Amino acid sequence: MTPRWRLLLLALALLVLAPAVLRVALTLPAFGAPTAALGQTVNALAPELRHVANMVAAVNFDLRGIDTLGEECMLLCAVTGATVLLRGARGEHDTARAGRLPGRPVTPRADATVLVCRIFATLTLMVGLSVALHGMTTPGGGFQGGVIAASGLLLLYLGEGYAGWRALVPPPVLVALEGGGALLFVLCAGLPLLAGHPALQNRLPLGEFRDLYSGGLMVLVNAAVALSVAGSFGLLLVEFLEETREAGDDPISDEEDR
Amino acid sequence: MTLLVAALLLLAALSGLLVVLSRDPRRQIFAMAGNGLVLGLLFLALQAPDVALSEIAVGTAVTPLLFLAALAAIRMDRAKR
Repeated sequence: MTPRWRLLLLALALLVLAPAVLRVALTLPAFGAPTAALGQTVNALAPELRHVANMVAAVNFDLRGIDTLGEECMLLCAVTGATVLLRGARGEHDTARAGRLPGRPVTPRADATVLVCRIFATLTLMVGLSVALHGMTTPGGGFQGGVIAASGLLLLYLGEGYAGWRALVPPPVLVALEGGGALLFVLCAGLPLLAGHPALQNRLPLGEFRDLYSGGLMVLVNAAVALSVAGSFGLLLVEFLEETREAGDDPISDEEDR
Repeated sequence: MTLLVAALLLLAALSGLLVVLSRDPRRQIFAMAGNGLVLGLLFLALQAPDVALSEIAVGTAVTPLLFLAALAAIRMDRAKR
């Protein structure tokens, strides 16, 4: 297709779509002005019904918990698919040595870098844990906490180097976290069904409003999501960094790269 | 719309433009991480702290690293041949 044809096609598409886009854009509510009726209703009802202060958690883990279960399964499938794809090229073997470009100089890490990374990796893991634990009371929750904890693993990688990182982050543990979290979520959804109630029905004591463990079943679901997300992202990082080469075919290097 | 939100929106557009305009993949990755950070701040200014947390963790830490790892894999593979 020549550039001229492309331009013609673009003009044609614009001609057809522009009126529709313009019409929708003109009837959109003003920026930040209105508040959706559903949001107001949830804000008014959920503290009394579920005893939680974080409405996003109430919506995600209770009011539309089945949707979240679907999302959780999507994450599980995506990470499993990526892992299978990456291992398909590499095989199940892994190596404790980092890949490196031949001829590229390797600068040894400064002690200060190691120290700063150790301190901040610990802090990041703690922040992730705290965000996940406070899911019912403050913004955040399982997904955010899990991702923050997993990104703390990157700081470990930066500070300890590839071999040290691989020793600290064993993939079987990550796999167990990922699968175990998803299983816990499915159990939370399925056990009420077996007892003849709707799925994910909140039968546990709801606790006190603004308490760390308020929300009954939501606390469990939140923990399940946190475990699963931390495991998934950790596994994804390991697999991607591992995929960079097949075990055993590296040029010999005396120091880990990057 | 406050001045802060307007400034962050402009910055988001600008950093997004930088991602598109940078041709070197490695620079593009860092531009993308910067764009993720700006988006995170924008979400924070729009009072969505939980979205901001995910955006900063996923958009500025995890995704750029995965891209960097993929780039390194490509370069190592080319060097082998």
